[in-house]
Parts: sequence; C-alpha cells; structure tokens
Amino acid sequence: MLVLLGVLTLPVRAQEAPASVECTLALAGRVADHESGTVLPGATARLLETGEVIAADVYGNYHFHVCAGTYTVEVSFVGFRTETMAVRVTSSVVRNFQLHPDAVQLQGAVVRGQALPAPATQATTALTGAALAATRGQTLGEALLKVSGVSAIQTGPNVFKPMIHGLHSNRVALLNNGVRQEGQQWGQDHGPEIDPFVASQLTVVKGAAGVRYGADAIGGVVLVQPAALPDSAGTTGEVHAVGASNNGLGALSATVQGAPAQLPGLAWRAQGTVRRAGLSATPDYRISSSALAEYNYSAAVGWRRERWGVEAFVSQYNARLGLYPVPENWNVTARNGGVPPLPATFTYALDRPYQQIQHTLFKLSSFYRLNGWGGRLALTLAQQADRRGEYDKFRPRNDNVARRNLPELDYRNETSTADLRWEPHAHGNFSGELGLSGTYQHNTYRPGSRYFIPYYTNLSGGAYGLGRWQPGPWLLEAGLRLDRRTLETRRPTRVSGAFAVITENFAFTTPALSTGVARELGPHVTLRADASLLQRAPAANERASQGVHNGIYEEGYDITRPAGTPGLGPETARSVAFSASWHDHPRLNGELTLYQTHLQNYIFQTPIPPVLDIRGLFPSYRFQQTDARFRGLDLLVAYRVARPLTLGLKAATVVERDLRLDDYLILAPADRLEGWLRYEADGQPTAARRLHGFYAQLGAQAVRRQTRVPRDNAERDYLAPPPGYWLLGAEIGGTLRLGPRTPLKISLTGTNLLDTVYRDYLNRYRYFLDEVGRNVTLRLRVPLAFGTPKN
Amino acid sequence: MTIFQSRFRLAAVLLALPFAFSACKDDKDPVPAEDNEQITTVIYLLTPTTGSGAPVTVTWRDVDGTGGNAPVIGTLNLLPNTTYTGDITLFDETKSPAENITEEVEEESDEHLFIYQGTPASLLSITRTDRDAKNLEIGLATRVVTTAAGTGTLKITLRHQPGSKDGSATPGDTDVEVTFPVTVR
Repeated sequence: MLVLLGVLTLPVRAQEAPASVECTLALAGRVADHESGTVLPGATARLLETGEVIAADVYGNYHFHVCAGTYTVEVSFVGFRTETMAVRVTSSVVRNFQLHPDAVQLQGAVVRGQALPAPATQATTALTGAALAATRGQTLGEALLKVSGVSAIQTGPNVFKPMIHGLHSNRVALLNNGVRQEGQQWGQDHGPEIDPFVASQLTVVKGAAGVRYGADAIGGVVLVQPAALPDSAGTTGEVHAVGASNNGLGALSATVQGAPAQLPGLAWRAQGTVRRAGLSATPDYRISSSALAEYNYSAAVGWRRERWGVEAFVSQYNARLGLYPVPENWNVTARNGGVPPLPATFTYALDRPYQQIQHTLFKLSSFYRLNGWGGRLALTLAQQADRRGEYDKFRPRNDNVARRNLPELDYRNETSTADLRWEPHAHGNFSGELGLSGTYQHNTYRPGSRYFIPYYTNLSGGAYGLGRWQPGPWLLEAGLRLDRRTLETRRPTRVSGAFAVITENFAFTTPALSTGVARELGPHVTLRADASLLQRAPAANERASQGVHNGIYEEGYDITRPAGTPGLGPETARSVAFSASWHDHPRLNGELTLYQTHLQNYIFQTPIPPVLDIRGLFPSYRFQQTDARFRGLDLLVAYRVARPLTLGLKAATVVERDLRLDDYLILAPADRLEGWLRYEADGQPTAARRLHGFYAQLGAQAVRRQTRVPRDNAERDYLAPPPGYWLLGAEIGGTLRLGPRTPLKISLTGTNLLDTVYRDYLNRYRYFLDEVGRNVTLRLRVPLAFGTPKN
Repeated sequence: MTIFQSRFRLAAVLLALPFAFSACKDDKDPVPAEDNEQITTVIYLLTPTTGSGAPVTVTWRDVDGTGGNAPVIGTLNLLPNTTYTGDITLFDETKSPAENITEEVEEESDEHLFIYQGTPASLLSITRTDRDAKNLEIGLATRVVTTAAGTGTLKITLRHQPGSKDGSATPGDTDVEVTFPVTVR
C-alpha cells in the first residue's frame, strides 16, 4: 500500500477554470502524526472537487494550485485515519493536517466529500477504519450499535433494526451509496437489506435531518458509504475473513478495484460477500433455527472527466435468516413463569421458519460542472426491487400446497427514485444547494399469499433548498423543503365473510424547515446547535397492515378505528439539539449531544389485549397516535491517561413521554453505559518490524433495567422489562507484515466473556429467549495489489 | 445561460424518467389468499345415546379472520349423566360455497390429532373413538360422558403433526384452538 501511495501522480489540472483564467492560489499544508508530531512523507492529499491527487514531499508538505472557491481536502496515509477538511480559498491558504493512528476510535465530525455530505450543524458519527473493521461480519444494525445514541430493535440473534435517539423504522432514513433504501424496512423484524461490507464508512446523523434526506428522517440518517472509485492506475483489492465461535459464523468478503492506465477516467470495482452461520448459543442452550446464509455482491463502474462524470452501481443482497419458532401461547406462559426453550443441537441447516430476502439496487449517478457561477449539478437515478418471503414454521395442511414450499407472506416492493442536486458555486461566504427528488413506489404481494400489507402505490415529489453562511468561525445553515405524497392503498377485506377490495387514496403536503449553527472554538472544540420542524405523512403499514406476522398479530390504525373518526394524520416533529465536541486533541476527545424532539401525532406501535383467533390468543400490537416528547443525551469521552493508554466512556439515555396520557411511552431504549481501557503500542510502521500497530482493549457495557414504562405496563406488556445487565468484552489486534507489501490486519474480539445470561428490553424475543453467550471473533484483512508498480 | 437552461431541461426530463417507466405498471387488485389454511368455523355436534335429550350443536365462528370482528362463540348446554356421540366439523366459510376442511383432515388423518380438554376435569369425560391407519387416535369422532351438573369450559385443539404423530399432543403445530363455555344441567 505504501508503495502505491508513492506512485499516485495524476496529472494536475486547474479546477473548473475556463482556460483563460490562471488558477494560482496556493492551497498547501503539512501532514503530521497527531500523536508524535512527526511529519508523514508520502501521505496522499486529494482535492475531492477536482479529483486531483498528490503525495506529500519528504517534509510532509502538500501543495495544490487552485482558483478561488471552496474545496474539500482529503488526506490519507496508511495506518492513519483519513481526514477531510473543507477549505475556503480566497487567497493562498495553509491548512495543516494532523492524522490520527487508525486505531483511535474518536473523531470530530468527519465529512467525506461524497455525493451527500453529512450536515455540518448536527451531531454526526462516522464508523471507519479500525472502528468499522471491528464490526466486520456483523449485520448493519449490529455494527451501528458502536455509535452512542444508536440502539437496535432485535428479533432473535440475527435481526437488528437501527434505532436512533429512540426513533426507528419509517423515521430513520438509510442511504445505501447515496440512494434511499426502499424495501420492507417498516417491519420491526426487518433488518436493513444492506451488506455492510460495501461500505468503507458508516455515518450516522443523529437527529432530524429531513430537509436534505426527505421528510422521513425524523430520527436520523444512516449513510452507507463505499470508498470513492480509485483514481490511480492499477488493480488493487482487499479480502476480509471473519470467523466467530458462538454460532460458527464464517464471512468472507473480497473487493477488487482498478483503473486501467490506458483509459484515464475509467474506474471499476467488484465486491462479493458470503456469510454463513449456524445456530447461536446462549450460555445455557442453542437457539433453535437461528442459522443464516447470505450472499451479496456489488459492482460499480465510473467514467470521470474534468467536468463531468458518470457512475453505474449495482448491488444485490440475498439472505436467508432463520427465525426462532415463536412458541405457541407464549403470551400466556411467559407471565406464568417462563417458556422453556426448544431443544436444538448445532447445525448450519436452515429450515422453517425463516425469512428469505432479496434486495437489488441499480443506480446511475452523474455530475456536471457548469460554467462560471453555475457550480455543480448532480443527478441520481435508482431502481430498487425488494422481495421478502416469510416462511412460517408450520407448513400448509394441504400436502399439495406444502410441496410447493411457498412463503406464507411474500412481499414485493419496487421503487424508482430520481434526485437532482444543484450546488451553485460558493459566493464569498455564501454557499448552498437546491434539490428535487421524486419517488414512485409500488408494493404488492404474491397473489394468493397471505395479506399483511396492502397493495399500494406511493408517489412523492419534493423540493428543497439549503443555504450556508460562513462568517469567520461561524457556520449558519438554513433549509426548507416541501414534499407532496400521494398514496393509494388497495386491501382485501371480508368483514362480512365475502371477499372485497377497499381502495383508499391519501394525499399530504408536508413542509420541513431547519436551521443550524456551528461554531469552532479553536482547533479542538466545535459547538453545534440546530432546530427543525418536520412533517411526515403516515405510511401504508401504519394505516392498513393487518394479520399475523412472525407469530404476532399486528394491525394498522385505520383497520379498526371507529367509524366516523378521522384516519391517521401526518406527524409533526419539532426538534432541537445541541452538541459540543472536543476533537483532534492529544489527550481529551469526545462529544456531548443533548436533544429534545416533540412529536405531535406521533405514530407508534403498542401492545393491545391479545386477539382471539381460531388458533388461540395472539399477542397483538396496534398503531396508535399520540403526542410525544423525547429528551435525551449521548456522551462519548476518551482520555489518554498516558501515551499508550486511553480510557473511554460512552453513555446514552432517552426519556420518552406520552404527553396526552402524561405517562411514559412503552418500548423505549434503556440507559446504556460503556467504558473501556485501550492500550496502543507506539511506533511507526517500518519495514523492519513484523508486527506493528498492536493494540489491546478491555471494556464493559452496562444496561440498566428500563423503569420508564407506562403505568399500566403490567397489563399491556406481556412481561416486565428484564433486569439490567453488564457484559465484559476484550479485543486485541495489530498488523502483521507477511511480506514486503502484504500487511495482514488481524484482530481477536471477545464479547460477553463471562457468559452472562441476560435479556434485552428491545429484543422482540425477550419473552422466551436469552441473548447469545460468549463469542470470540477472529478478523483478518489483507490488501491485494495486482501487478502494482514497485518503487 | 442558454446552455444551463438546456441542461436544466435535460435534467428535468431525466428526473421524470422513472415516472415514465412506472406509468405502464399493471394495476391489479389483491386476490383472495389461495391457501386453504383458513379455518373459520368449528361445529361440534353431540348426539345423546342415553336418556331422552335432543342433539346439541355448538359453533365457534370467525368469518373475517384474525382481528376485525370478534369471533362468535356458542355455549354448549348438556344434560347431566348422559353419554353423547361427538362429531366435529371444520369449515372455511370465506369460500363460496363453504369448504369442508374436515374431509381434508380425514384424508390426512395420520397427521392430525384432536385434543379435548374439559375444565374442570370432572365436568366432561371425552374419549376419541376413531383411529388412523397406524392405529393412533384421531378425534374426529368422540364419546362424551357427563355426570353431575356444573359449569366450565371445553377446549378443542387440532394438532397438525406431519411425519411426527405419535399419539401425544406435543409434536407439530396448532391448526385450531377454540374454547367453549359449557353448562351441564
């Protein structure tokens, strides 16, 4: 890799300048190691706007010649975390970089120069480098648990649905490579249909970010960001291998990418992942039917010139996830002293019940640089198809039907999206962007399969504008968005016994407003505050879902609402958030976020008395609407006690109130506290040393019992919240030099080392299943270089 | 500016492209579920073989399926110190005409088992009187004996046990689990 960096010498081009204008302003600086202060010769500096790349000289200096304007400089060096900085150039300017060793997990707001930069005035956490590497082999939802303020709704050991600041499902926007993930993400037992191996960075925007990402992003946004396509000639790659002891998990992911030297501007990447696991084990027993098999691939090809570029991206996610067979009548037995687990022995075999999921994304994106003040125009078109089959444990009684082995629930969703973004060239302290987006979504289920979600057609269009003003150390941002959504649902009904179809039409126009401010207090402290008003139109599942799904009866609000009462209206969120971050400091780093979200007409799912069916009493949930207020705090602090030792602390709490009932809301995440001590060996990677970057970490995670539950929780919930618990974890790792150009990154992670028996409040299977026990994961990562020129 | 405007127009056309594609999507409505899983109705017919009582039927019916309107559940009124012959019938009344599911259970009798459970246990004494090819009880036909007067419930469960039927209730899954109030007097 080091060798590679040395040969990055792309032709240096003037930025977006008509040939007549000389661009001679210097944008330069020095790159050094933040810890030791030593300069880093050979570090790569890249101007994201132009794609221009140069290597730092022997003194660690980089140097660009540019026109006036705002640029994003990205500096990377092997073994260090990549850093980016937005720089406004009006005269020659010096910006020095201090890179952090890759293993340090903390950072200030990292804004990558991708198609959709995260908002600068909101708390943002990125998982990248070593922090991301430590999650390899996990699902996306599980990996995001590393971020304070993010929790997950679990369904057994394999399904994790991300929850940001207590909000989830339709309120968290997932952007997979710049495209809003549109699948079956409404279901609480539906994990995101995304292969996290695609990403080189996972970014979580905590809090309402609806102006930029669409009205649904009330809780926050998760950006799954692949690295930019390579711009240096040659073919490289990377192989990840993961093995875990608890469930015999094996994951292998390989990426190959290249840019042919003969065709400057062309670049490509291909990636594939295989993930298999057998039955997970709690400290006392194997969890029946918890195996999984996953096969994913993605490919991208891009063509980039000075003023324009196009990129095509295709990805497919295929997963078969075993689900624990929900015990019959557990709602009755759970209260009377517990449901015994089903007997199971270790196997990789996958039999009913399971989910079979396929998500295909095809994306075409392009940009064009306009002349003069015109700035940059970017267009993204995407087509997504999502299929989800849910195979019940119990086969159809009719043998002929059973032989066909069809899923009992078989959802199909197709979405076309188009987004146009225009970023006019920055004018003095002012910059901004305008965007248009459109979505067409068609949702059906296999004819003849069981009803759960209506057929629906969702057509939405939105327009937004964001303006930024940067006087001195201040950054002020304001945005406005307007969405129009029409929804047509068609659902079967047989209230009288006879089959009929009810067609309903809804239309909502929802505004969104946001303002934010960021203030740099010196190089180490950034303060951010933002306020927003968002409105979200109810989704089809919140209105009209009905049926037994995963052993639980669920119904939408409109299904049994009394005649004459209005249907679900849009919910309105007013949020304010404040965050302070300490970053790039040699000793103390961290971030504190305080937030409050007031949700008028908050739509949420709550348990209702069990519904009686011909097969007995079913635990039941129903969508309700109320006014709610969420208040919370996330904290992250890391203190370097001595040179090789860092002490870390992470905490999150959220208080969810139902304002109409003046009571707590049910199913809010419990308070979490995590602490760790990390040892990081000193030393630069040198050819002489076989092992470098050694680190070891010991940590504990504590979760309190959730005591903030509704007054009538004993009648509503089927079981009281489980007791609090604490878990011990440890990790060691480093880089082993296998050959002159083959650094092998290796790590060993142990979770729940004491094999503690516990249950988590947000696991939907907590009524009858323990959480998984001790697990030791081995992770390997090897870079590949095919015929790379040698130094 | 003209270049910009034409670009903008191009972008607008491209932006509208997905809508153009979507315009030709089929516009079909949902159709009834084809699975003959659905059982809406359980009818238990009891014919006295002793004494002078008339045949009694009791019905459990939920035509709109899970959720929606609550099921309609009848009460079983029996005479004390009487022996009845029990005969159970299952229907799917969402089909027109109603589909008799009992026949299907009969055909696959080596995969099915009915369990009759009276509460309190002394209220009713119920015996399955039919057997499948493997000489295991089925429970489509039963004998019910009452003794003293009293009230309670009768729970009828149909277990689907493909390949695993062993005469006990444990294997398989529940196809039907209904509970009737019972009065003996």
